[in-house]
Amino acid sequence: MNIRVARVDDLQGMQGCNLQNLPENYTMKYYLYHLMTWPSLSYVAQDDDGKIVGYILAKMEEDTEEGEDPHGHVTSISVLRSHRRLGLAKKLMVQSQEAMATIYRASYVSLHVRKSNRAALGLYRDTLGFTVKDIEKKYYADGEDAYAMHLSLKDK
Amino acid sequence: MAAKRALTPKEANLFKDLLTLYETRQLKKGLKTADQILKKFPEHGETLCMKGLILTHMGQRDEGIDLVKKGMRLDLTSHIVWHVFGLIQKGEKNYEEALKSYTQALRFDKDNINILRDAAQLQTQLRLYDSLVETRYTLLKLRPTLRQHWVALAVAYYLNGNLDQAKNVMEKYESILKNIPDYDVEHSETLLFHVRVLEALEEHSQALSLLDTNAKERAIVDKTAIMEYRARLLSASSSTTGEAQEGEGEASAAWHTLIDHNSENIDYYYGYLASLGLHPTLSPSYDSTKALETLQTLSTALPRASFPRRLALTLAPSPSSEDTNGTFHTLAKPYILTALQKGIPSLFVDLKSLYTDQGKMEAIQGIVEDVLRSFDSEDTSNAEIDRDPSMYIWTLYFLAQHYSYLASHPTLPQPSSPPYIPSSSSSSTPPNPSPYPTQSHSLHLISLAISHTPTLPDLHLLQSKILKRAGDPYGAATAVNRARELDGQDRFLNGKTGNALMRAGLVKEASGAPGEVGSGSGGGGGQQGKGGVLGVFTKKDAASPASDLEDMQSLSYLLEEADAQRRTAPSNLGLALKRYLAVQKIFTEIQDDQYDFHGYCLRKFTINVYLNLLTWEDSLLLHPAYLKSAISASQIFVYLHDGTLFPSFGILGGAGKDRGGSGSKGGKGGKGGKGGAGEMTDAEKKAKKKAKKAAAAQKEKAKEREKEEGKKAPQAANEDKGLEPPAPKDDDPDGTKLLVCEDPLERAAKLLAPVVKLLLSKKDKTSKGKNASQKRMKGYGEIEFWVTVYDVAVRRKKFLQAIQALTQAHTLDPEHPEVHLRLIHASKTVSSFSSSSPPSETITSTFSSQLSNLLPSTISPETHNSQYLQKHSKNARAILASAKALEMLGSSTKEEVETVVFGMLGSGAGAEGVHVDVETALEGLGYLYSLASDEKAEEFRVKCDERFVSSTVFKSEQEQGKLRDAVREEVTRLPGEEKEKGDGEVSG
Repeated sequence: MNIRVARVDDLQGMQGCNLQNLPENYTMKYYLYHLMTWPSLSYVAQDDDGKIVGYILAKMEEDTEEGEDPHGHVTSISVLRSHRRLGLAKKLMVQSQEAMATIYRASYVSLHVRKSNRAALGLYRDTLGFTVKDIEKKYYADGEDAYAMHLSLKDK
Repeated sequence: MAAKRALTPKEANLFKDLLTLYETRQLKKGLKTADQILKKFPEHGETLCMKGLILTHMGQRDEGIDLVKKGMRLDLTSHIVWHVFGLIQKGEKNYEEALKSYTQALRFDKDNINILRDAAQLQTQLRLYDSLVETRYTLLKLRPTLRQHWVALAVAYYLNGNLDQAKNVMEKYESILKNIPDYDVEHSETLLFHVRVLEALEEHSQALSLLDTNAKERAIVDKTAIMEYRARLLSASSSTTGEAQEGEGEASAAWHTLIDHNSENIDYYYGYLASLGLHPTLSPSYDSTKALETLQTLSTALPRASFPRRLALTLAPSPSSEDTNGTFHTLAKPYILTALQKGIPSLFVDLKSLYTDQGKMEAIQGIVEDVLRSFDSEDTSNAEIDRDPSMYIWTLYFLAQHYSYLASHPTLPQPSSPPYIPSSSSSSTPPNPSPYPTQSHSLHLISLAISHTPTLPDLHLLQSKILKRAGDPYGAATAVNRARELDGQDRFLNGKTGNALMRAGLVKEASGAPGEVGSGSGGGGGQQGKGGVLGVFTKKDAASPASDLEDMQSLSYLLEEADAQRRTAPSNLGLALKRYLAVQKIFTEIQDDQYDFHGYCLRKFTINVYLNLLTWEDSLLLHPAYLKSAISASQIFVYLHDGTLFPSFGILGGAGKDRGGSGSKGGKGGKGGKGGAGEMTDAEKKAKKKAKKAAAAQKEKAKEREKEEGKKAPQAANEDKGLEPPAPKDDDPDGTKLLVCEDPLERAAKLLAPVVKLLLSKKDKTSKGKNASQKRMKGYGEIEFWVTVYDVAVRRKKFLQAIQALTQAHTLDPEHPEVHLRLIHASKTVSSFSSSSPPSETITSTFSSQLSNLLPSTISPETHNSQYLQKHSKNARAILASAKALEMLGSSTKEEVETVVFGMLGSGAGAEGVHVDVETALEGLGYLYSLASDEKAEEFRVKCDERFVSSTVFKSEQEQGKLRDAVREEVTRLPGEEKEKGDGEVSG
């Protein structure tokens, strides 16, 4: 297993991994937009055969209010079922957070999760230390609510 | 000319307004303003063009473009009209023509910044780096105060390979920069680009000092990038200057810092080892004991890092058998036991690359079998093993993978001791003892695990995989569906179920797309039923799960469905083609995607990742998915051209009678050197006819639709629809028109051409592209690619291209069965030159002489073929190719050909121990059907059915139909309902 910064030639593998795992999917242009704007924030986990088995696609929040601290945002994170229990999600998250903090001086990182997705909620809260900040009504296209979650990067 | 363009002062002002309104996309106001001018000056070309441009933005494309063209004719020397025309062409992604228009525009206004900038982007898209440098230079001269212009020029030089100039520009730029704030990410990226230029120039010490100075001053803020550059540069400078320990020490320290920073990055460990002279392949004085000690130290310092422990297994010397106290054993045992205790599903995948080493493979097998034995014997003496019931499950899980993998990879070293079969009280009967691992062993072990813990989805998932390998697609679908039912919230399990259903011929149940076994979707129109298993996770407002997956650019789905369509029935080939071509389209989209970033990244100064983007796009089409779709689609186009079944990859998958080039009655084809195997069957002819009719009917419908839409269009016209033409309506959703296209070979050639170009240019440079490391899909690698190029070229009578392709394939593997078949084909082609209308003398002689380099002309092709068969008498694929060659040569009886095919199963003389897998046997069966050898085929089928004990693909058509129905019932039962949700862990 190899964990490293995502490269352009990883993006199709990340897209494939995302399609295998999650219902929220994006076209290549959106992946490109992430990497071409914040080239150091996204990470991948790659197996022996070169396959992408986990990834974190991350960015900095662009619409911040005047005077608000800059903060990072996780657009998507997932690990293939076949590669769970290795702690990959945590390792990916830690690398990305550190880059957010050192390069962009992010004070915290945010993400959204479907209210019904208890498994993911457990991961973010229990394993990665996020807390629920807010509920965003009808955040998803199908009308489902999202939990807006935060993790402070200050004490790092 | 100026007279025609002149306006009165009032209108001149209005025209200025018009330009601003367009810039700010106030389209409606802009339109009004244009009309105001035109009232007085109806022949004003520039205004007409602007109006046309605005209309195009508003979705009135045809009218808009007509106006633009009219305006241009009225004022051919205006830069505005050419600029507008260029914008339209750019919107159509016609980059070459757009650049021509911009060049015209610049003739009339050479210092126009906007036009120059657009032109630069087009030049980048088209990789015209010489002209790009010129354009960037002009821009910098015009606006030297803009930071972006300096960097853009340096980037242009870099792209054009002029690194010295790139460096000069960067130095000059940095010397005149003032007032840069701390922590400026843009400046940081720019400086890293400068370091990159110096690294490319191999000016390592200069690069290092630039890096260190700016890192210290916090001008470069990307810590990871700083550390990586440092480590690389220090390593490079110590290796080039041959500087002694000091340099080495510093490089090692840099790599060590990286490891501390991210202890799971493989490159860091190899970099560190290399800096110590301990790289297993690069260091001349490699010492494995020292390397292992180093890793041990790292492991102790980083107890949570898993990679150093794993790397130690790779670097440990191969153990001799029975040496259970050796280094490898000592390292592997705790590694494996910990993973089994934790229940890590990927343990096997993690270790399988060690299996090329027989000693390591056997050691691993021994360790895991010991664990299983201790569970079996209730032997509590082995205190190392905490006998947790979940560990028992994961041990079985591992061994099931282990045996299945070995059974399906016969070229790997096999264990010398027979597999251990646990005694059990389970209902599953243990397989017959066999000295070698088989899929049956593996199935037995996984069923033990399942009967112990029936609620763990991963176990059913693995069972499905083993059944697939064993040749039972129906059992595989049922098994994975059980996994899905255990955790309905997991898309991973859902997707695997969809794939398995498609492999079982149940496309509709998978994705709601048409195309069932034997259903013949020809003429069915575009109605794609909703639903299908995959629809649980696709967008509800999409036309179908399939269309959502296509929109989301799922390459794996498209390829899986295309393959399924290709297998099901000849009439579904149109759908298969559609899906393969959809893959092609995605790659075109990605090539177009880069366009916007030519401007964007320079504005954002994210230059380094941008340069990587360009390199990646340059060889994008070598991606395995593109290669596979190009090869597969071309094979179908060739088939459509021939109207016969080329004895090739078994184009229709060759699975059973209803799938093969089924039951052709036409006897031997072989018209004019094409080497066809069978005429089209009646069913296929019918399907083709039906398709033609349907295509005609659809044309009518499409015409009507266009009329309707033409009426509707003008109303909805407020917002900006951009300059890209809307995607044309798909008037051939089932690919029925494709099946009757007039130019199948030209279409195939078009798909293949860009890859030909890429591969040949790669060969010239002899550089290893990054894509070289990408795993090819089995059966769709470079050899198969060149063979397909040959097939297409030889039919297009492009003989030089054909022989070039065959030579390429031959270089890669002269003994490859597909290459052998083409060599025979080529020699037949040579002999047909004299009889049929010959190509030019030079071409025939070049073809013949190049062929004689591959296949000595002193030996007859018949002799060559029988020698090939003798040489590869244990290789089923080679035997099949040789049978096909025999038929192609036309001098043997059908019986003789059939006898050779039967050799695949080891019944021929001296063919003992032929290894044949399910897939190859199926191809053999399909081939027998295509020979119209129904009786022989039946005999072959029954033999295969006996031989592949766990398979179902060799059951009779009727039996398979029943099995398929059973799966269908299984997945459609309780529609839309899920059983209880599993524990559904996302990750750990």
